[in-house]
Amino acid sequence: MTDDAPLTPSQEDQALAAELALGLLDGPEAAAATARMSTDPDFARIVHDWYERMAGIAEALTPVMAPARARQAIRERLGHVTPPLANDPTERRAWGRGPMGALAGLLAVAATAAFLWLPGLQQPAAPAYQAQLATQDQVLRVAARIDGRDMEIALESGAAPDDRDWEIWWVKPDGSAPVSIGLVPRDGTLRMTLPDGLDPSADIQIALSDEPAGGSPTGQATGPVVAIAPLTSL
Amino acid sequence: MTDARRSELETLIARTAMGDRDAFDRLYDATSAKLHAVCLSVLKDRPEAEETLQEVYIRVWQSAARYASNGLSPMTWLITIARNRSIDRLRARGSRPVTAPEDAAAFVACSAPGPESATIMAQERRMLDDCLARLAEAQAGAVRAVYLEGVSYADLAAREGLPINTVRSWLRRSLLRLKDCVSQ
Repeated sequence: MTDDAPLTPSQEDQALAAELALGLLDGPEAAAATARMSTDPDFARIVHDWYERMAGIAEALTPVMAPARARQAIRERLGHVTPPLANDPTERRAWGRGPMGALAGLLAVAATAAFLWLPGLQQPAAPAYQAQLATQDQVLRVAARIDGRDMEIALESGAAPDDRDWEIWWVKPDGSAPVSIGLVPRDGTLRMTLPDGLDPSADIQIALSDEPAGGSPTGQATGPVVAIAPLTSL
Repeated sequence: MTDARRSELETLIARTAMGDRDAFDRLYDATSAKLHAVCLSVLKDRPEAEETLQEVYIRVWQSAARYASNGLSPMTWLITIARNRSIDRLRARGSRPVTAPEDAAAFVACSAPGPESATIMAQERRMLDDCLARLAEAQAGAVRAVYLEGVSYADLAAREGLPINTVRSWLRRSLLRLKDCVSQ
């Protein structure tokens, strides 16, 4: 294919399909090409092949965990949960005020105590790990804790400057690319479920790198690693 | 992606289409970190990417029933929704008018590829990196920037200091070359 030969009709279709799949067409052209998909199954197939082909580029991106609040917000927006403060707290207080409430409370305490103390009823404890991350001067200190597949990250001191973020990386012993698991929260605790493929063990190290606000733009650590620590079993 | 993972995701999407919240949760667990990476790659802004990720899963919940008819592999469908939502938001940032949502074309029904063509597409995916490496650096860079950062023809033209039509014809040829290479 020389660079100035006109495209053949089949190449024109391929190029148009690629442009549609990539979002390169502007309004009227995109609308016309989308409409053509409905009447021309071959063209629809070509567009979808372009989606498949190019998705390979995205599949190569390093996964970045979203903060747990994103999932909570999705559930709330879909009406799958009531937000934590949606229940009228006075309602519950009124119910607990009467003698039956007190009795129910006692029973609940007793049931919980029985559950906690009867060894046969205990769930097998999920393996728990922690990592204590700190810079050498101890200005930045971050605590990570894993229970089963739940992970918590808390900033103890040393929030990143406004235009920077500390990014958290999961480092496997096999030398594969570290996986981003999110950003150190500026306050409070980040809670998340570990994604498939990240299995806690004493071979894993957690690292923090200094990144532009919002995290590494490339999916790989771009800034210096400021702290690193292995997971230790609790 | 292994066949087992693909069919697991297909099952989760099918159950989500029936209103199974548990399946939807598991779909989120399995795929949200990748889709979040896609949103971040386009938007380069953490809060906006997080907000867009929410919109992506709301769209997935609402349109899971239409997934089966579009013939895309589950990850491609999810990535396409995430990428297009992110690009919509990126373009809304500038004062450029936003037209139809970018992902309309991903929802057009399409015959599912036969097993043979699914194998060919898997093969093409494996070739993709090699073939991008074989393009001239500027071409490969432009293709990646278009896909991963939502760069438009106007952006490319401004970047290269060339007329839009010149950039367009150059990128179309780059894409055709890429396709010829992966489908050898």
